Amino acid sequence: MKMRSAIALGAVLTLSLSGCAMGGGGGSAGATLNADAEVSGEITVWSWDVGATALTRIAESFQAEHPGTTVKVVDVGYDNAYDKISVGLQAGTGLPDVITIESDAAPGYVTQFPKGLTDLTPVLGDQKADFDPFKWSVGSNDEGALRIAPWDSGTVALFYRTDYAEAAGVDLSTAETWDDLIALGKTIKDKTGHTLLSTDLSTGGGFQMYLQQLGQGLFNAEGEITIDSPEAVRVLTMMTEMNAAGLIKNVRGWDGRVTSAKDGDSAVTPEAVWWIGTLQGDAPELAGSYGVLPLPAFDAGGVRTSNSGGSGLAIPTQAKNPDLAAAFVTYALADTDNQVSMMKEEGLFPAYLPALQSDYFQQPVEYFGGEPVYETFAELTAQIPPIVYTSDSAQATDIVANAVTAAVLNGADPKSVLADAAQQLATATGREIAQP
Amino acid sequence: MASIPAPVSRRGRGAGRRWRPQRAGLWFVLPAAALLGIFFAYPLIASLWQSFFQTAGGESTFVGVEQYIRLFRDPLVGKSLLNAGIILVLQVPLMIALAVGLAYLLNQSWLRFRSGFRLLTFLPAVTTLVAYSVVFRVLLTTDGGAVNQIIGVFGIAPVDWLNNEWWAKVAVIAAITWRWTGYNMVIILAGLQAVPAELYEAARIDGAGKWQTFWHVVLPQLRPVLIFTSVTSTIGALQLFDENYILTQGGPNDATLTPVLYLYKVGFRQFDFGYASAIAWMLVVLTAVIAVIQFRIMREKP
Repeated sequence: MKMRSAIALGAVLTLSLSGCAMGGGGGSAGATLNADAEVSGEITVWSWDVGATALTRIAESFQAEHPGTTVKVVDVGYDNAYDKISVGLQAGTGLPDVITIESDAAPGYVTQFPKGLTDLTPVLGDQKADFDPFKWSVGSNDEGALRIAPWDSGTVALFYRTDYAEAAGVDLSTAETWDDLIALGKTIKDKTGHTLLSTDLSTGGGFQMYLQQLGQGLFNAEGEITIDSPEAVRVLTMMTEMNAAGLIKNVRGWDGRVTSAKDGDSAVTPEAVWWIGTLQGDAPELAGSYGVLPLPAFDAGGVRTSNSGGSGLAIPTQAKNPDLAAAFVTYALADTDNQVSMMKEEGLFPAYLPALQSDYFQQPVEYFGGEPVYETFAELTAQIPPIVYTSDSAQATDIVANAVTAAVLNGADPKSVLADAAQQLATATGREIAQP
Repeated sequence: MASIPAPVSRRGRGAGRRWRPQRAGLWFVLPAAALLGIFFAYPLIASLWQSFFQTAGGESTFVGVEQYIRLFRDPLVGKSLLNAGIILVLQVPLMIALAVGLAYLLNQSWLRFRSGFRLLTFLPAVTTLVAYSVVFRVLLTTDGGAVNQIIGVFGIAPVDWLNNEWWAKVAVIAAITWRWTGYNMVIILAGLQAVPAELYEAARIDGAGKWQTFWHVVLPQLRPVLIFTSVTSTIGALQLFDENYILTQGGPNDATLTPVLYLYKVGFRQFDFGYASAIAWMLVVLTAVIAVIQFRIMREKP
């Protein structure tokens, strides 16, 4: 325990060193991008896993179409990626020309390093309407300037086990609201013994995903805390009821969720489109037993999707070749063929809406018994409600996860734990609590 | 340190102090001193400097001791220290007792394969922190984890190790005890071997039994070693990070949040580097206080 914590301490100490060397981190505001610039030279791109695979492939065709350019894609690995990015942004040096930032982390970087990321508006601004509106907002700052370009979407729908529904004699497509689904879930539990869904309550159990369905985040547009809003209480109460009825299987971490899906513990999984890749990769034996439906709404006629995960690409202001970086980002992300190819090859669901018109999304998917499930996601993507993030979103996320644990696992009253959580956040951040 | 008489410098004609042997030493320590300065002293001072600033929206503003006042108002600092306190109060005595027992056993001349057993006991200390934590997480999985399967054989209901505020602490304690007992055992073993054979002989002649010998002769001799292991373990508990990070991420409901884990979250997840630096310095002060107490106790003769 000693060595590693010494390293953690050392990292913070070193970090603050570079921070003050640069006068508080950030560096200059960076170059103003020119969409029509002649590009040449070399850039380095940081990504990881399938993201790196996809960009490596795209880089080859980019180089072929742009003679005299070299795009070097480096798989920096997920585990240390954010520590490296944070340190680089704080220090104002050490970062490549293009970096990958996940949507969950995006608001933190956009708000905390306002001078760290190049404004992408000059090159992508006029295509705003072509992108997933939520992804666009999550990568933009308060003034609406785009800092992180939308890459893949985390459009959420309801994955369900067709065999369990059949065994229980229920038709899940009739579940228009969460109340309907909970009622059907009880029937499934009685008839088959399976829980309705598996989730990791210690990290919030999807609380923010459900809340986003209601068009709400943890803050309002004025930056006030909305953790204890009536909508939030409604979501947490629903989760508490689900758990009280024995419909939730609480699992730990990512591995726990995958294992639970593989073991077939639960009947449904409300999750993003990238879950398809996980199912096909980790549970190929379950082919033919899954279907996809839009999420149930909170009120009949309400929004039937949300967001979970997804990523974007950003150009640090310290980039040595920003124009080439911008050309590559535009080429990879705002291009139907390339976005469709990343869907086909790497399972990255386009945040670029014109790509969703491609025939590929109408095709039947074998894993889902030949249903064209991508069509469902393609239709839902433009409907994802944008929500507000602030510089304190990371802290709010931790506090809310604790509130979920307290209410759902320890049986505390949802309204009062959320009020406490809001108060705790207000004390820690000096923000006002929004008055309903 | 004994003073070394300075070599007489030969003053050649007009050469002045061209070559002074004692200066040569300075050149030899320069590389080490420079490295220490760059990678130790500078970051240290810079972090202290940083702790007087508040970073928000990329702008650093001087806030004086505001970050340190914040430490006292922040319930999570209190909670993380309390967690570390609970873990160390339960874990350190348990581990030291185990280590003494094992060391005593493995110091017996009648025991065969002593080296083998010593090696086995010490092996956990060379495993990487991350690797063993991941293994513990797998072992402690609520559904189908090996630990729950084994206690299930005895008819005990599965324990929700990592999701229950109390059992999560127990899990962390079990993990660090497994990892560090062997390490402390080796230090105590060295202490045991330094106990002169005459003392055992004298005790035997005085008619002391095995237990009496251990209690009245061996343990007092081990005093400095025990204090050393206790203090390093206490400091270790204050700096707990990996196990909690991997096993529980500090959850559930911050039940296993430790000061360093909190520092990491504040610095790297919330980008509040000024406050993270203040937490780091709070830990430095706490650790220094413990070290001073250690020196005091060591100096006192029983």
